[in-house]
Amino acid sequence: MLSSISPDQVRAEIQRFWQIMCGNSPDKLEDLYSPSALVVTGKARKPEPANLALARRARQTGKDSFAELGAVEVQIEGPDVAIASYTYKFHQTRPGESGGLQKRHTLFGRATQIFKLEPGGALRIVHEHLSAATNPEVEKAHGA
Amino acid sequence: MTFLANTAASKEAISSEQVRRAVQEFWDAFTHQSKNQFQEMYSPTAVCFAADGRRSEAARLMWVRREREFFGPKSSVGAKLGPVSVQILAPNLAAASYAFHFSIVRILPNRSRAEIEVPFGRATQVFQRAESGGLLIIHEHLSSAEPVTSKELPAEDSPR
Repeated sequence: MLSSISPDQVRAEIQRFWQIMCGNSPDKLEDLYSPSALVVTGKARKPEPANLALARRARQTGKDSFAELGAVEVQIEGPDVAIASYTYKFHQTRPGESGGLQKRHTLFGRATQIFKLEPGGALRIVHEHLSAATNPEVEKAHGA
Repeated sequence: MTFLANTAASKEAISSEQVRRAVQEFWDAFTHQSKNQFQEMYSPTAVCFAADGRRSEAARLMWVRREREFFGPKSSVGAKLGPVSVQILAPNLAAASYAFHFSIVRILPNRSRAEIEVPFGRATQVFQRAESGGLLIIHEHLSSAEPVTSKELPAEDSPR
């Protein structure tokens, strides 16, 4: 089957995604998504449009965050669709429910991201499911 | 004749209604503990994240574990599904995502039984049309929005 998407292209987009999540890139998270993308993430109880999830996520990204990714498996399904799956650890400092800063450590994160090649050549996320096999470890941040 | 019918079916574009029907068939097979029907829903090489799995596993490995945990006479599976969103990704490919409430009695690795409630389960399942015309799961991601409650049950064959 002919394919226009390469696994390396998908892996590069995933790196870009996590660079933004960690506050290490001036790019915007919403530029990575199709306007019709659906996202399952965090404590959301059902799939939701990406713009809602991203508005929430924007409040949670910060310079004090870092991520470690496991091996990224890429299923190329046709000329313009790829499914990426991988595990990750994500360490972030963000406001807790009481307002103070918390350090959150997601140790067993799992990610599914479905990419579609747009007619203009851009690769965009059309579906994302981020979850964790165990609850994140939470500690109070110094200076909070 | 059958071959011609299958060939035509394998070229037919996937519809949202077919995907919703496949999701329902999946849960019917799971809750009725129909092992063969359940396995036939997956491509053997499908990549699957279980709700509590720390990494993905191939469907053929997942079958062995689920058979032990969920398909025995002392296990039970119940599920209620929320509305199913369908995204058509290509003529032969679609993603379904939905919320579900999952109630199970599961056999643990130490052979004891546990009653587990997953009130806020979330599922992503990617379906591909097979050569036979049926829809196969090629990727699955199950998770829970809230911590899962688990209660160990007394072993049925323990002395009273």
